[in-house]
Amino acid sequence: MKIPGRDLAEHVKQIKESGAFDVRSNALPTWCPGCGYFGIHQGLNECIRELGLPHHKVVVVSGIGCAGRYPFFTNTYGLHTVHGRTLPVATGVKMANPELAVFAVGGDGDGLAIGGGHLPHVARRNVNINYLLFDNSIYGLTKGQPSPSSPQGTKSKVSPYGTVDKPLNATLLALTYGASFVARLFAGDPSGITNALIEGIRHPGFSLFHIYTSCVTFDKVFKTWANLKRWVHPLPQDYDPTDLRQAFDRVLDDDFSIGIIYRRTEKA
Amino acid sequence: MPKVDVTVEVCGMAGDGTIAAGGLINEALSEGGFSVLGFDSYPAEIRGFGRCVTHSRIGNNEVVALGDVTHVLISLDDEQSRSRVPFLSENSIVIFDSSPAAYVREDSSIAGEVEPGTLLFGMPLSDLATAASGTERGRNLTALGGFTAICGIPSELFHRVIKRRFKAKGEKVLLANLNSFDAGVTYATQNFSERIRNIFIPPGQPHGHENVLLSGNQAIGKAALDAGLKLYFGYPITPATPIMEYLASRLPDRGGRVVQMEDEISSIGAVLGSFYAGVRAMTATSGPGFALMTELITHGVMAEIPAVIIDAQRGGPSTGLPTKTEQSDLHAAVFGGPGDSARIVIAPTNVSECYRYTVKSFQLAEKYQTPVIILTDFYLDNRVENFPIPQAVESEIENSNIFPRSSVKGSYNRYSVTESGISPRALPGMEGFIFAATGLEHTEKGTPDYSPEVHTMMSAKRHRKILGALADMPAPEEFSSGNIMDVGVIGWGSTFGSVLEAVNMARGRGMNVGALKITSIFPFHLDVIREFMNRCSHCLVPELNFEGQLANLIGHLHTKDVVRLNRVTGMPFPPSAILAKIEDLIQTGDE
Repeated sequence: MKIPGRDLAEHVKQIKESGAFDVRSNALPTWCPGCGYFGIHQGLNECIRELGLPHHKVVVVSGIGCAGRYPFFTNTYGLHTVHGRTLPVATGVKMANPELAVFAVGGDGDGLAIGGGHLPHVARRNVNINYLLFDNSIYGLTKGQPSPSSPQGTKSKVSPYGTVDKPLNATLLALTYGASFVARLFAGDPSGITNALIEGIRHPGFSLFHIYTSCVTFDKVFKTWANLKRWVHPLPQDYDPTDLRQAFDRVLDDDFSIGIIYRRTEKA
Repeated sequence: MPKVDVTVEVCGMAGDGTIAAGGLINEALSEGGFSVLGFDSYPAEIRGFGRCVTHSRIGNNEVVALGDVTHVLISLDDEQSRSRVPFLSENSIVIFDSSPAAYVREDSSIAGEVEPGTLLFGMPLSDLATAASGTERGRNLTALGGFTAICGIPSELFHRVIKRRFKAKGEKVLLANLNSFDAGVTYATQNFSERIRNIFIPPGQPHGHENVLLSGNQAIGKAALDAGLKLYFGYPITPATPIMEYLASRLPDRGGRVVQMEDEISSIGAVLGSFYAGVRAMTATSGPGFALMTELITHGVMAEIPAVIIDAQRGGPSTGLPTKTEQSDLHAAVFGGPGDSARIVIAPTNVSECYRYTVKSFQLAEKYQTPVIILTDFYLDNRVENFPIPQAVESEIENSNIFPRSSVKGSYNRYSVTESGISPRALPGMEGFIFAATGLEHTEKGTPDYSPEVHTMMSAKRHRKILGALADMPAPEEFSSGNIMDVGVIGWGSTFGSVLEAVNMARGRGMNVGALKITSIFPFHLDVIREFMNRCSHCLVPELNFEGQLANLIGHLHTKDVVRLNRVTGMPFPPSAILAKIEDLIQTGDE
């Protein structure tokens, strides 16, 4: 599997040619070469292109962190908010103008720590926004502190003896909170992201895309590309994403199967 | 010609129908063409067995403050009403229940408590109500009937408002209340014909049909509707919740939505998201919730996104005194949050201004692309006043948005530096103007940039814009003869009514004093305030806070220290306390 972004210049050239890159700043993304966010970026761009969404009718709302910079690197309307508040702001945008396609993007710190209180409510409110949670289990922008999805024992400058808190599982939380569409994805598989996003946009309610990704700069032990590539695998052929009990069983037993985990079939 | 200036109080125990009776007095006399200011106090606990008191001040001229004395006391529970006796004026009227069943203790009648000269009207309220309607529950209405007859008010006024109030509860309930009321009228007419006091002469002048009787909170809700509000996001908190309640039943009819969010942070977040997408939204909260909002409010400042936020102040800090009035969020409203984050803050001084400046806040928010904070307080939120609704509100705020015109590809600068500081604002969905808004410092295009030049230039742009908004904001109003004054009193928020009352009394007594009303808290009219101050030997700033928060903001404009008069009693500022300080300053020159 080719990891996008490994060759930064080539990737930037690709997305520039696609017309999806930010024509305003001509700034290179601040993400490090090899960052998994390039794969997510590619997946989302491809989705916008495939669905033929007019760029001026797409809004990307972000919080703070490496993922927070997303709106500057894409040729759509963008709203870079404050730490953790991506979901409520996106809710306001979508309710104000339902014709807009609204994507909320943010990392595991933004969405599971400081902004963790919003996820249950956006799920039960079921406003039609698409939330891409970039989960690399680390705080990258502040240089490598543990996040709520870091495994117990994670060592860092702020946890030299290892962390004691247990990690959160965003997919499991979303199912528990009653989210009507839940996908678990992998940044190393942009076409998988595109396919899930297309289904999620068509889903008439809140959609969560929990995306495993790697921080190549600060994580040398856990969610490395090598580990992620070894761990992730597709859902079984006979998996039924409309069965909530099966979804819970799957997520409780298996942290790394990727695909559409759950989709509520009734009209949202 | 004598003027009507009457304060009526109804006092009882929770469950006596005290608040309902006070409300009917306000409505009936408002219908009768009088100016009315009503304010209730009741226990904070839902299941309290506490004392309820309603205050209604009724006049021919505009009523600006609660009175210091009570002219008519309607007692539904004499044990509770004893506490009101010290506030009774000379020759006041006291209406009380003389039914034997009304007394828990033999000697608890209020008749034995009052000063000689008080006009006592004992009526067997419980017995009359029971005879008229089969239950004593209507005894509050019977008392109102007595009040109507004793004070020479036409009964039709009350019939009309009783019908309106109880229509929805069915014919049976309406009839029971009307009968209870009429029983009171009949009893008082038969028994007190010699002692009728026509205290509401001359009668009021009929208001135009557009005159409304609303609380401050209701006026804010109505103003938001009239200004084209589409989305309300909020989290329940005293004393702001009635705004949400008002809108919840009305906004859906206008194609809007009221959304109860998970906290105040998400409420302001959704308001910003909505305005970013070009739709008018609002949230209302009190101090504790406002504190949570401050980070996102400064995001609105930085990213230049409009927002309308109501901060209904209560006693603080922290959870403080949720059901008491205070003006202690001024610092938080003006300065709260990270960085140099100038925003617009307006504080209405009465219910009519709650309406007017809420409408105005939407216009200012959109034109100047900034959060606008309306500062009210518990007293202003909950008191009722009647006032004429201004016409043509919608047209006033139409086209307050400034949209970009050119659509040359890639040429749009969302944050273009202009002389006014206002940059044309595109909305998502507009073709050719794609941009990203951010809370990071940014260039004219909106690209993050931390260079000294950009931060200096953009800080200046944002502040220029906010200072420029002053031209569209309400100017200070002076109430004086316009010359040199011994004492000039500066007031804001609900306290201004008390300031005006005190200054009018002082001027009536020949003192050389004046009042200045400040409603634009930030930015403020520095030159006008300084000019006023320089015509005053003493400059007095009464406020319902401990620190003197307005005095801190404007005090430096005076050539010497302003005199602070601070109270944190949780009660509205009594005009008598301001008058006493004015007299003190004039007599002793002491501060």
